[in-house]
Amino acid sequence: MQVIEYSAVLFFAVPLAILLINILFPKQLAEKFSIYLAGIAAITQIAASAAGFLLLSAYRLHEYEFSFWDMTNAGSVRFGVNTFSLVILFCIGLVSLASILVANRTVDKKRAGYVNLLMMLMLGMNGMVMVTDLFSLYVFLEIVGIASFVLIAMFKSDTGLEGAFKYLVMSILASIMILTGLSFIFMQTGSLQYAHVVGMNLLEGQSSPQLMLIYAAMTLMIAGFGIKTGAVPFHSWLPDAHQSANTAVSVLLSGIVIKVAGIYGFIVLTGLFSKLPAVNMALAIMGTVSIIIGALFALRQNHFKRIVAYSSVSQMGYILLGLSAGSILGLLGAVVHVFNHATFKSTLFTNAAAVHEQTGTYDIDEMGGLEKKMPVTGFSSLAAFMSTAGIPPFAGFWSKLLIIMALWDSGFQLFAAIALFASIFTAVYFLRLQKKVFFGKLLSKFAGLTEIGGSIKFAQIMLTVVTIATGLFFPFALLYLKGIGIL
Amino acid sequence: MNAFVETAMLVVGFLLIIAGCYGLIRTYHLLKIVIGVEVAMKAVTMFIVLAGFINGKAALAQTFVITVIVIEVVVAVVAVGIAINLYNNYGSMDVRNLKKLKG
Repeated sequence: MQVIEYSAVLFFAVPLAILLINILFPKQLAEKFSIYLAGIAAITQIAASAAGFLLLSAYRLHEYEFSFWDMTNAGSVRFGVNTFSLVILFCIGLVSLASILVANRTVDKKRAGYVNLLMMLMLGMNGMVMVTDLFSLYVFLEIVGIASFVLIAMFKSDTGLEGAFKYLVMSILASIMILTGLSFIFMQTGSLQYAHVVGMNLLEGQSSPQLMLIYAAMTLMIAGFGIKTGAVPFHSWLPDAHQSANTAVSVLLSGIVIKVAGIYGFIVLTGLFSKLPAVNMALAIMGTVSIIIGALFALRQNHFKRIVAYSSVSQMGYILLGLSAGSILGLLGAVVHVFNHATFKSTLFTNAAAVHEQTGTYDIDEMGGLEKKMPVTGFSSLAAFMSTAGIPPFAGFWSKLLIIMALWDSGFQLFAAIALFASIFTAVYFLRLQKKVFFGKLLSKFAGLTEIGGSIKFAQIMLTVVTIATGLFFPFALLYLKGIGIL
Repeated sequence: MNAFVETAMLVVGFLLIIAGCYGLIRTYHLLKIVIGVEVAMKAVTMFIVLAGFINGKAALAQTFVITVIVIEVVVAVVAVGIAINLYNNYGSMDVRNLKKLKG
């Protein structure tokens, strides 16, 4: 039992330790070596989450709770890990590693600042995934938010500051909504721990004003987490923030922050309020609209990173649809899609960084035929986009299949059909990107172009291997999950 | 008497949120936008106090409120920092300058 606790404590101890080391060392040393320390933190996170997963299944447990101080005190914060949260913790480690590898090339000045903020972000995201009460969830959500604003704005370009300010104002509105919803729930239950909120059975024996307050709380919290996710009625900040940030930061934002800050909130909400069908319906409608509108907006962009950012809006829609099914199969599909989206979206942003490093532009109209000069980038981009579009041997196919099956089982046949056909849009906008950037005739001005080397190439190869391996071995993963009794 | 106080606090809270959002919409000044959202945020702390008053867990509600105030200050500092950097780049606090990202 002790071993699990050690591996769980690592998720907090390692980022904090690196943050302290980074601050205590002289600035020149920190600028030089902090990026390696950050790499160590990311690799430790990956190893700890994998070890935690194996330990949980070895002990035949579904979750493990622990606390840093006396658990019996009224206000003490409990932390817990379960099988699904360990998958998300693994994604956090993987995307952070990809971001660090990209930052090794794209971030020249302020490396120590980047690493400090990245550690804060990792700490916030790990905390969000591991806490077991709604108020601590909110606190860690704000830590994630603050680290993201500063990461976008820290290079002080006009666009970066603009994107950060838009994100910040939308985020404050989101926290106002989430916190108001929390206070309404707190009014009814007297406690915000997940176990107490589930046990209270909020709907029975309530008078109509109280019911109205609970529905108001649900509306506010869905809107708040919707802003954090970037789901469609609330998506206006997402492409701006993701486009304007440094590409190493975009990898983080699109790869994991919107999922932990937004989608994980929805996972908690659907877990706590599974008896309210209105919640599932709202998520289903928001998801469908996100899929279609996000894909249509992605079709008319010319900025490489903006296309990929709108693609995130569209893919978040699939995850919301998976959650709206309200079954364990839907939850599994959503979490697997979180993992797949983390890998292929990081790949695409890494490719954006590679193309920008070599050609100096993000405008896809100015590119063409880069595949001949940059074969690794071209192939990893192709693999990532096939996975996004859900083409069979790749990883995205399995998660979309699980989501559509779960929707069909729960009686949302219409939404399942829309999700299936909207995959075509995904293929269309990525084919457009792929054709304009990598296929076709090589422009004469790119005759002397070379393939990207070093850490970005390593990140591309690593992420592509993960995408292809997940696709090929996913049936075994399903069998394993069945073996340990999750499905 | 209690019911009156509760309803009054709820109404005042909603009025504060509406006032904050109205200020946010009506102004073009970066700092005034930050002030607007901060006013709305203050209303939320009031809701938490009200919740603690109604369910009898006033001590827990007070710890929540203090934590929220601390977070709010940090967010306000980051917001004002970004606004000052925008002022340095553009020479004015007008939010209508922020038009570089579109589409």
